Amino acid sequence: MGARFLMGSVSSGFAALVIVAGCGVVSPPPPTPPPAVEPKAAAKPDAPKAIPPKPATPQTAKAAPPTTSPAPVAAKGPALDLRSLEQRLKDTNAIGVMTKLSLKNQVDDLVAQFRAFHDGHRPPTLTELRRPFELLLMKVLSLLQDQDPALANQINASREAIWSLLSDRDKLAPYL
Amino acid sequence: MKRTLLALSTVAAFAAVAADDPKQRQDLAAVIALQGKPCGEVVSYVAKADNDFVAICKDGNRYRVYVKDGRVIVEKQ
Repeated sequence: MGARFLMGSVSSGFAALVIVAGCGVVSPPPPTPPPAVEPKAAAKPDAPKAIPPKPATPQTAKAAPPTTSPAPVAAKGPALDLRSLEQRLKDTNAIGVMTKLSLKNQVDDLVAQFRAFHDGHRPPTLTELRRPFELLLMKVLSLLQDQDPALANQINASREAIWSLLSDRDKLAPYL
Repeated sequence: MKRTLLALSTVAAFAAVAADDPKQRQDLAAVIALQGKPCGEVVSYVAKADNDFVAICKDGNRYRVYVKDGRVIVEKQ
């Protein structure tokens, strides 16, 4: 009976986490701003033409030519299906029931802090909230990464999107 | 009288069942770690009741891990 109660409460709590996570994934974060290393000619005026014959490592050697499209580096997973992610989090065996409940507690606490922030309470500024957010995400990822790496990757890919959701009062409101 | 006490203590001993489910041990270790408490690895645990355990860590720490009002509580013992 206790386990059933736990699963119910864990499910609902995790559903909230997933909703928060999943919503973010719709618009993948602008992960890595392209490195601003274009003024190559300024450093060595006569060097640029000498490099092309050595295309051993595509990323470093091909910096100068305009063919720099193959750099969607950060995990740009496929568009996330919210329901399936929710189900996967519920079903994953990577996290035990009590761990899920404990995580849910921490998610609730963090969301409460964001709610306080949006209500105008200022001891937790947005900058201050970033750290516990990252910490909690790392906890989730570290729990998932060994036994459910795909799920961990998907959550990791939606990191910025989750943050933008939490930090935006209007976006967060429907989930409170 | 002595016999009754002995019987009672035996019953009490069996009520708190020492168990060794590796998944449960991992779950307890993760919960303890999530709360930022030192443990390392749970080497054994005793199930006191539903969702109420005493976890024994490799480093010698013992924690009671239980659920109260929907929250997981970890208490050092």
